Amino acid sequence: MKESFVLGNRAIREALRAPDALIPTIFIPLFFLVVNVGQTARIFPSGGTPFLAGQNYAAFQLPSSLLLSASFGSAALYLVEEIEGGYFDKLRATPIPRMAIIAGRLYAELIKTVAIAAVMVLIALPFGIRIESGILGFLVLLVLVALWAVVFSGFMQLIAIKTRSAAATQGASLVFFPLLFLTPNFVPRNLLTRPMEVAATINPVTYIMEAVRSLILYGFDWPVLGLGFLVVVVAGALMLALSVRMINHYD
Amino acid sequence: MSLAVEAVGVRKRYTGKDGDVEAVRGVDLAIPPGQVFGFLGPNGAGKSTMVRMLTTLMTLTAGTARVAGVDVAADPHGVRRKVGVALQEAGLDPRQTGRELLVLQARLFGLSRSDASVRAQELLELVELTDAADRRIKGYSGGMKRRLDLASALVNQPEVLFLDEPTTGLDPASRVTVWDEVRRINDQGTTVFLTTQYLEEADQLCDRLAIIDGGLIVREGSPAALKADLRTRTGLAAEPTLDDVFMDATGRRRDRVAGDVQEV
Repeated sequence: MKESFVLGNRAIREALRAPDALIPTIFIPLFFLVVNVGQTARIFPSGGTPFLAGQNYAAFQLPSSLLLSASFGSAALYLVEEIEGGYFDKLRATPIPRMAIIAGRLYAELIKTVAIAAVMVLIALPFGIRIESGILGFLVLLVLVALWAVVFSGFMQLIAIKTRSAAATQGASLVFFPLLFLTPNFVPRNLLTRPMEVAATINPVTYIMEAVRSLILYGFDWPVLGLGFLVVVVAGALMLALSVRMINHYD
Repeated sequence: MSLAVEAVGVRKRYTGKDGDVEAVRGVDLAIPPGQVFGFLGPNGAGKSTMVRMLTTLMTLTAGTARVAGVDVAADPHGVRRKVGVALQEAGLDPRQTGRELLVLQARLFGLSRSDASVRAQELLELVELTDAADRRIKGYSGGMKRRLDLASALVNQPEVLFLDEPTTGLDPASRVTVWDEVRRINDQGTTVFLTTQYLEEADQLCDRLAIIDGGLIVREGSPAALKADLRTRTGLAAEPTLDDVFMDATGRRRDRVAGDVQEV
């Protein structure tokens, strides 16, 4: 455990030393937010659109941007760089539980995503978005988004360890496109076409998005929130189990 | 006293792109403590695979190995506490400073924050990197990276130090600096297991050496004994060099090995 924090703090220090790598994780999601809202806000006026609960359309779109910013999987890219450069073996040769190497990067991803998501929400507030669930809801939102970042990065790290290739890892990270866009990101699930509704219902990210959205638009909707956390916890448990297995059998 | 490194019937087989590969095909080693042991062989002979198995970075397919008296398969953590490793590529994190890297390495070996700082400073002085200690590693020269890698392998004051081609790619001056470090470390009682392609390096540094070819050890002994043996067997008029021993052992001719074995 202690080793995970030691390694995690190193990863945070590295992230702070490469701010240029952090900029896209904030500005690309904000760009999508501005473009999507700009193109569709007139279709969904706040007064005449029941699912907006009195807020503007940007409030409905914000969860997509938050989850996009949490789906860059940069921890895996740093990890694969260390595998290719040999530092990964240097760490494996120390007497620490090997899972600490992965857990350290996940801990850093958690902290980094909390900070980035907080910045994004703070940027969004002046544009008329409010968090209906209040300060506590804001904190729960940060936790949920950050846990998703940990899960996604964890799966990307599995690919990094399996392939040991930066190109393959970067290519695999594009999986976030179907994961994020086969969701009710423009309208609620019940307004999607049937095929899209089926796809969104199968996609676990839907439930995280709906949970985040509920905190912004409706307050604490416990069943929706519970489902969001359940998805993250189950996916996280699967990711951790696979990670332990994979790193302990890394040869 | 137990052996520093003991291997019995060690094999490594793995599946590569071209099917099954047997990189190590039954290697026995018995290295007493305090020696500088050279492990020579052409590219692909199995040197690095053997080092990776002895340092717990790779599992054994068959056989047993003990390092500093600890079984590598049964207690890999125990082995890691007692050995230092500097692999072929100086595996360093370019975004950290030299000092940060050493402090981190020391903390991973269980030292407190303050003890880790003290140990890092000692090692920086040992490898003469104090002036560059607070600069990012990505700005270091090849020689500085090698010295830092060597320092990071020493944070835990290892009983056995594994150096996998520590001077490959270094200029002659940096190479001599590394040799001096290896001698100094060995003088302090650390057993050094050194793989190299440079035969002069082996001649200069090693008390004993083994030549591996095709995953099998084909010669083993002190440099002087190996040369004497060759002279006796072949009736050479002049004293053979370690190059001659190597080529005799691996069945290579000088023109054939030109691409495999580099000489300094």
